Amino acid sequence: MSEMNNMTAAESAATKAAVMNQVPGPDVEGQSPLHHADFAGLAKRGMQEGGIHLRELALLGHLTLRCDSSNHEQVACVAAILGVSLPLTPLTSAEKGAYSIRWMSPDEWLILVPGLEAFSIESQFRDAMPGHYSLVNSSGGSTVLMLSGDNAVELLKKSTTVDWHLSEFPVGKVVSTLFAKSTATIRRTGDQCFELVIRRSFADYIWLWIQDASLEYGLVIKA
Amino acid sequence: MTQRNRLTSGGRIDRSTSLTFTYNGKSYQGYKGDTLASAMLANGIDVVARSFKYSRPRGIVAAGAEEPNAVLQLGATEATQVPNVRATQQELFDGLVSSATNGWPSVDTDVMGMIGKLGGKMMPPGFYYKTFMFPESSWETYESMIRKAAGMGRAPRETDPDTYDSINQHCDVMVVGAGPAGLAAALTAARGGARVIIADEQNELGGSLLNSVALLDGKPAADWVHDVVQELGTFEDVTLLPRSTVNGYHDHNFLTIHERQTDHLADSAPAKMVRQRMHRVRAKWVVLATGAHERPLVYANNDVPGCMITGAVSAYINRYGVVPGNDLVVMTTNDYGYQAALDWADAGRNVVAIVDTRSVANGDRVEAARQRGINVITGSAVIEVQGSKRVTGVSVAALNSSGTQIVGSVTKLKADTVATSGGWSPVIHLSCHTGSRPVWSDSVVGFLPGPTVQRQLTAGGINGQYETAIALQEGLDAGQQALVKLGLAVVNVILPKTKALHVAAPMSLFHIPHLKPTSQAPKQFVDYQTDVTAAGIEIACREGFEAIEHVKRYTAMGFGTDQGKLGNINGMAVAAKALNKTIPETGTTVFRPNYTPIAFGAIIGRHCGALFEPERYTAMHKWHVEQGALFEDVGQWKRPWYFPKAGETMQQTLNRECLAVRNSVGILDASTLGKIDIQGKDAREFLGRVYSNAWAKLAVGKCRYGLMCGEDGMVFDDGVTACLGENHFLMTTTTGGAAHVYEWLEIYHQTEWPELEVYFNTVTDHWSTATITGPNSRKLLAELTESDVTNDDFRFMDWKQITVAGVPARVFRISFTGELSFEINVQANYGMYVWEKLIEAGKKYDLTPYGTETMHILRAEKGFIIAGQDTDGSVHPYDLGMGWCVSNQKPFSYIGKRGMNRSDCTRENRKQLVGLKTKDPKQVIPEGSAAVLNPNAPKPLSIEGHISSSYWSESLGHSIAMGFIKGGLDKMGDTVYYPMADGTVIEAEICSPIFFDPKGERQNV
Repeated sequence: MSEMNNMTAAESAATKAAVMNQVPGPDVEGQSPLHHADFAGLAKRGMQEGGIHLRELALLGHLTLRCDSSNHEQVACVAAILGVSLPLTPLTSAEKGAYSIRWMSPDEWLILVPGLEAFSIESQFRDAMPGHYSLVNSSGGSTVLMLSGDNAVELLKKSTTVDWHLSEFPVGKVVSTLFAKSTATIRRTGDQCFELVIRRSFADYIWLWIQDASLEYGLVIKA
Repeated sequence: MTQRNRLTSGGRIDRSTSLTFTYNGKSYQGYKGDTLASAMLANGIDVVARSFKYSRPRGIVAAGAEEPNAVLQLGATEATQVPNVRATQQELFDGLVSSATNGWPSVDTDVMGMIGKLGGKMMPPGFYYKTFMFPESSWETYESMIRKAAGMGRAPRETDPDTYDSINQHCDVMVVGAGPAGLAAALTAARGGARVIIADEQNELGGSLLNSVALLDGKPAADWVHDVVQELGTFEDVTLLPRSTVNGYHDHNFLTIHERQTDHLADSAPAKMVRQRMHRVRAKWVVLATGAHERPLVYANNDVPGCMITGAVSAYINRYGVVPGNDLVVMTTNDYGYQAALDWADAGRNVVAIVDTRSVANGDRVEAARQRGINVITGSAVIEVQGSKRVTGVSVAALNSSGTQIVGSVTKLKADTVATSGGWSPVIHLSCHTGSRPVWSDSVVGFLPGPTVQRQLTAGGINGQYETAIALQEGLDAGQQALVKLGLAVVNVILPKTKALHVAAPMSLFHIPHLKPTSQAPKQFVDYQTDVTAAGIEIACREGFEAIEHVKRYTAMGFGTDQGKLGNINGMAVAAKALNKTIPETGTTVFRPNYTPIAFGAIIGRHCGALFEPERYTAMHKWHVEQGALFEDVGQWKRPWYFPKAGETMQQTLNRECLAVRNSVGILDASTLGKIDIQGKDAREFLGRVYSNAWAKLAVGKCRYGLMCGEDGMVFDDGVTACLGENHFLMTTTTGGAAHVYEWLEIYHQTEWPELEVYFNTVTDHWSTATITGPNSRKLLAELTESDVTNDDFRFMDWKQITVAGVPARVFRISFTGELSFEINVQANYGMYVWEKLIEAGKKYDLTPYGTETMHILRAEKGFIIAGQDTDGSVHPYDLGMGWCVSNQKPFSYIGKRGMNRSDCTRENRKQLVGLKTKDPKQVIPEGSAAVLNPNAPKPLSIEGHISSSYWSESLGHSIAMGFIKGGLDKMGDTVYYPMADGTVIEAEICSPIFFDPKGERQNV
């Protein structure tokens, strides 16, 4: 075990919340929810052309922040830590470098960061964030799928009831919605490019669903 | 066989592409562009069905969705069988296999035919109520007989090889119907920049224009259609949906469209393609341009094959190059009926006569017929048809001016085809779906769409406007109106010029009188598919069924798969005449979704097979599968049920797993338990309000069990909550209750106590939990951690943050087995890694994986409840003997306090949870068994309670059970009896539910 960075009792008492670095050393390989699907192998062996392109952005740091958007100090603190401001407009997102923030609900945001940065960012929040808030590391509970290709919108139309027309759903917009019989938080990152945050326990169902619903378009797995 | 009714030229068929199909086992030829119906008519097939009740031969009547008779069974193989296919809507493909559904053994030689003549008498109208509902218990028998005799088609007995799916669409303007009105509306809306979807049930857009010889801008109408469709195709935001029936129009402008993507290609969809697709459309505005259905007239023997509607005759000639006979008699109440005769004559076949029920006929189409030398007989009607499997002639007689009586002598004419037109019924089905009641129009002689709350516009035939020029204009108007409503700039479309024809007023006539009273005249059919006659409706009225909805239920009118598209208005007219009322006075008839039958596949879409219901997996699922675990569904989770070894019975597996835990160490995947992270300075206070017990003093590093009750005081969930930090807790819930509990917390926070500073987050999926339990669990844990896990440093009900196998973990020393236990939580991405390390290190302790069944036994040995098994929404903590888990000392109340203190909850003799020990230790009482005090008392026996959990305990060497007994907590040592279905009785003694280690020493070691 490398550095645990366990808080001392005093530190814990100061923040009044338990924070731990949940990532082990580099000798332990993490398994994303779709580990068993072997995207790396499929990318080599599978179809190379098709209307749907799928890639897993595995093992990112997922932090769920709940705070008060009308609390200017909190909003300023988030911007100071992440270098990007909380998107306060419903269904929007903000992004800077490797950090992205998705609006989830009026008092909830999902912050995605590189997997190894989650604990450090969590610690910075615990040091600096004023007022009543909660920050939860949920990195193990979900994964991110990057969906693109000429038929990406068709696939989403089969899977969700959302209107994906660019006039209604521009780049940067975010929605958390029913996806087939599961859920997904979907952000548009390009005209034909989307990021889906899906729950770990449903990942296999969604993976099966995407394979089935892409059949007529052709599914290309990207590593 | 030659296509003897096929014209050598004309129509929208491709004569160079010949297609072979079979009907009732015989092979025929048709052309690309044919429907199955047009190909059958081209081949001179007259009989396509036997009727439902009378087994009379029936032929093709119509050319579209309204067809009542040509409802066939399709499919070349067992797996591809499709029932209820309207031959008029099925495009022909090479190799199509079809058969008649009603008619046994065949439609031509029908053994039911002879019975049918008697059957009519034996099955009077009202048979549905009079006969088959009584005695009620016989209905199932009757139903199967009726279905066989009626031949309603059958579902495949093998799995459908095709895939179906659904897709969600959004648009500004949804245009239903692509005839002149729909195309004009869509073009206008599209040019105005709106997002448009236009759907039509036919294989190509164009609607009635495809059947017509009328000219637009001096060119064939199809040319204009072609140009419009091509232009529509250039708009990025316009979706064209041919072969797509808008089957349902629901609240909030939500429409369901059934697209047949590959039904026209082959028996089964080509590889990777979807057979049918449901479009679920949310539209800002809807334009209904659904057109109209022609009404046949009701006259004697009007069901003999060869009796058709005039529009269908024109459609078969003009669109498919098929003339369905040689000698035509037209009977009409209006000018439009003349068109069939004109088209028939143009096709070079003989028009015997046009019989017009009006005494004066002078419209432009009438004059055109006269100029061609066609015999036009006015003020008369075809009162009866001769023939059985095909029309051979008609009887014509003069009518009085109101059409209620025959006034002249009867003339017989030879003919093989009778085309009738009683006018047109606007297709108001979709408008009705939204709850709008239609309104009768005397001038249209039909129902029009009624007032609506939907954002809906209508254009063309649905408004009773049948002239192409007016339909086009109404479409343009609707398109422009939609643009205005959408806030878009209005654009203009130059409509094509049409020849304006003078159209004289139609006559309002539905039922042609006969020389004999209706009851004695040959059958005059109103609804072909359900064999409802004019006489039947008169009987219904005489018997007092005066409202049209009652008449329908008495006669079954409109109950067929065609929903009475041809017959309903005629039936209402017959009832109105019998009751001496007007049609609107008899009531209106409305329609429900779906407009036409839909394959179940299209409704279920991809949500079938492996995708029927999501299966939720833990991070260790693959390991469980590889170990040969059997799985139990817990909510959507797949949890290992037990891990059998080769040759073991289930009980042997359970015994082995239980003993392993009691004697050494077992391992359970507990990841599915609900986990909720709770933060905020009021988190502790909040817990005190949602749990029945106290939380004020739970120190950091400690865990506590809690019971959660509803407002009624009844237990609905339980679990252990750990204090992670002064303002930070981790709550666990039951696997199945996680979502509900999370919602419960949010609802109470948001609606009742928003002033409390607390936030909740679900972390169920984030943590993987490996529970190691048994006397050797500490030794095992110690092998994988450098931290102190001795009993001195790591007490029962403590939690610790340590590393396990090099992975940071939160370990909870809590126990659901009564044994020394450690629940090891790591971020789920490392769950499998830690699990495998535990398995590896556990070998020397014979670490045994176990599943939910062993978990249940182990906890029952300890008398621990399972919320949902030992609770059923009617038991409060005291009923469970868990008063220790209720604190009434809390300054603020808690949910359920008031409920569990209601008089009924505090009375004597409530059912209480106890243990049950059978007299014969080998006997296991079945779960659910009812307890009685004296099995020999006179029946009915008073039931004292029931068994909620019951198992064989290998550790104890006897069975154990938990159950409810009235006043049971005060009846320790008493005997109760459980009578079994086989007459035996199991005797049991009431005892404490804690069977194993009653002092609870083992978990504290």
